Amino acid sequence: MLDLFKNFTSPTILKSKGVLGMNARNYDIIGHNNKRRLYPLVDDKVQTKILATKACINTPDLIGIIEYQYQVKNFIKYIKNYPRFVIKPAHGSGGKGVLVIKQWSEEQFINASGRVLSFNDVYQHISNVLSGLYSLGGQYDVAVIEDMVNFSDVFNNFSYQGVPDVRIIVYKGYPAMSMMRLATAQSGGRANLHQGAVGVGIDIKTGKTLKAVMHNLPITHHPDTKADLMSLSVPFWREHLIIGAKAFEMTGLGYLGADIVLDKQKGPMMLELNARPGLAIQIANGRGLLNAVKNIEENYPKNLTAEERVDFILNK
Amino acid sequence: MKKFFSIRKVLTFCLFISIVFASYSAYYKIKHWGFDIKPDAASDVWVIDAHISFTPTGESIKVSLSTPNMGQEFKILNEDIVAKGYSITRNDKDKRIEMSSNAKKGRQNIYYRVTIYDNEDTRGKIWDDRKPKVTKPIFDNQQQEMVDEIIKASKNFEGNQVKKLITIFNNEPLDPTVSALLPVHITEKQRAEKIIDILAYMGISARLARGVRLEEGKKAAKADLMLEAHDGHKWRIYDLHTAQDGLPKNFVVFQRGGVSLLDVAGGVNSKIRFSVLKSVTPSIKMAGHRAKLSDFSDTFNFSIYNLPLLEQNTLKWLMIFPLGILITVLMRNVVGLKTMGTFTPMLIAMSLVKTGFIAGLICFGIIISIGLLIRTMLSRLNLLLVPRISAVVIFVILIMQYMTILGYQLDWEIASSAVFFPIIITAWIIERASIIWEEDGPLNATKEIVYSMITAIATYFVISNEYVRHITFAFNEINLVILFVVMLLGTYTGYRLTELKRFTPLARG
Repeated sequence: MLDLFKNFTSPTILKSKGVLGMNARNYDIIGHNNKRRLYPLVDDKVQTKILATKACINTPDLIGIIEYQYQVKNFIKYIKNYPRFVIKPAHGSGGKGVLVIKQWSEEQFINASGRVLSFNDVYQHISNVLSGLYSLGGQYDVAVIEDMVNFSDVFNNFSYQGVPDVRIIVYKGYPAMSMMRLATAQSGGRANLHQGAVGVGIDIKTGKTLKAVMHNLPITHHPDTKADLMSLSVPFWREHLIIGAKAFEMTGLGYLGADIVLDKQKGPMMLELNARPGLAIQIANGRGLLNAVKNIEENYPKNLTAEERVDFILNK
Repeated sequence: MKKFFSIRKVLTFCLFISIVFASYSAYYKIKHWGFDIKPDAASDVWVIDAHISFTPTGESIKVSLSTPNMGQEFKILNEDIVAKGYSITRNDKDKRIEMSSNAKKGRQNIYYRVTIYDNEDTRGKIWDDRKPKVTKPIFDNQQQEMVDEIIKASKNFEGNQVKKLITIFNNEPLDPTVSALLPVHITEKQRAEKIIDILAYMGISARLARGVRLEEGKKAAKADLMLEAHDGHKWRIYDLHTAQDGLPKNFVVFQRGGVSLLDVAGGVNSKIRFSVLKSVTPSIKMAGHRAKLSDFSDTFNFSIYNLPLLEQNTLKWLMIFPLGILITVLMRNVVGLKTMGTFTPMLIAMSLVKTGFIAGLICFGIIISIGLLIRTMLSRLNLLLVPRISAVVIFVILIMQYMTILGYQLDWEIASSAVFFPIIITAWIIERASIIWEEDGPLNATKEIVYSMITAIATYFVISNEYVRHITFAFNEINLVILFVVMLLGTYTGYRLTELKRFTPLARG
């Protein structure tokens, strides 16, 4: 019994480290900063895209939206001018139901990991998206087809299969904490930390590695590619932060997570926003989020523009 | 931050008020309605039949019967007189019932039935500060000597004067002086009167009390006797055989003192026979009767205990839900277990209560396993969501059907409990487990099922407890307390138990 408790830490220690717990996140942070009516803006990727375009935030080009089952058999019509494309549910979460096709012909579709799919497979996938299989709450959904991001090779060595993305937690418009999620063989090319992806805490001021963890344990090298995680540095860091900061004005959400990828030509692009970003980012950073939130609440100036806020952080 | 603080304060205040309210109503129910904290508490209800019979003499008849004193040791639930052709008047002052009629012919039978229950809280002594006058009996010389000797001999026994005297009259072998004083054939009553005489001689006022000793299925030709002696402040009652003082639990006094138990004018050969019937009734069922007799009947009429039994049973089942919900909240927000669906574990626990624990678990395990197998096959067909989950629902129904048939044929009772599981919930568990299995691997699927079952089992053990079920029903104001506890937990921002493990790496750094 005592052994069991060895694995536990005391709440006082966690509190002194400023660790944000799930209950405090839901009650103090989300409950008081994120208005319920604003959720659809980020839960629906179509709406997020429209808003982002208005706010001059780069996002992957929208190719088309499939709303009804009868449209599914004609999906080729939408994509004929695009050599690569991505199909995702408008109300999906955690990367569920995202199909990346990097090359295709009338008969064959090759997905991100190189598997060959038939027309029928893609047809079935879109049908599943429409029936709500991958969506929050399982209600009927629409399928969003967008252009595939032309990923920059900067991170090529750092990820196994999947695409590395940067997650920035934004509190009241100020980027508060960030991390990169790198897929591993164990995580099956997915970027979910609890499935064994690597989480790299990124210093919000410099865009460089703070710490890297896998399954809650600190590591220094990627388990599959052996890349030195400590040397990781995100280019266009200021632009990354500006996307995050702008997302605040764009949605009105006081606490949000912005997922950003780096495109070869277009630079940082916003993939999606999250109104209830998870807490694993604290483990990747090796520090609690509560301190950062308190600091922003008490010491940071209000009524600045997105760029001014980012510069305030970078010059602090 | 000030704003949240005040919400918490308001809720804490409400919680406090609800606790006070629940405690008060528990006190009220115990005190006035006779509810008990224990689930199996029962009250004894006694039915005493007094059968009066006599032969009329041809004159007009007047019968007067002394009845038990209400509002004292026992409470009367019901009183009933069957006396055909008699006009009945009640004399409340003397606690007598008078029946009168013109001359009648043939043996007369009058039945008096009283239903009483033990009202222990008012059991006590009869206070009477007026010290009754003692009329000293007149003995002849011989008797005088014997009495003096008996008094002297009685000093060797324990207790007060009255006890000593009763003891010597019952001592085996009987003291020679005592047997000399008493005639050879002596009735119980005569013997008691002798004791009263001697007590009077000693200056102690004493009298007879007549009533019925409650014994199951008793049929007695005569009333039972006890002795009451005045100790200067109150009448104390003594058993004539054991000299024990205090009213025994099972004795109902019909009449005390000099007045008669039964007077019959216009009749001869009058007899009164008592018979006693005991029935045990759960306290909670008695509550209605008790409340109706008391001054608190209005509150009772508007409580759930005045509803028809069927509705009461439904409500009793519902009253357990808030506690189950509280456990769900605790498990999710304080412990931090991730379960399938918010209230799924609670619903499984409810089913387990109906099926029985082991049988239910085995049965549920079989249904889920077969269901998952079928679901794996279904996933190859690439069906749309709603038709697919519908197919799973139908499969679950079929599994339940065959388990019931098989259980019956093989005489295996466990299998027939299959039908008690909520079909839709079971289907969703299978669906969810299967999706997690496909997306996050079998480990995560098993984990979530195990966590759900832990929560379900914890809930089961709380709600299947007889005490808990009794208390949530009998003292249902506790649900108000639970409500505010749940609402207060809605403002709980502390760490979850599982987070203490999850965030250990952060504590080290």
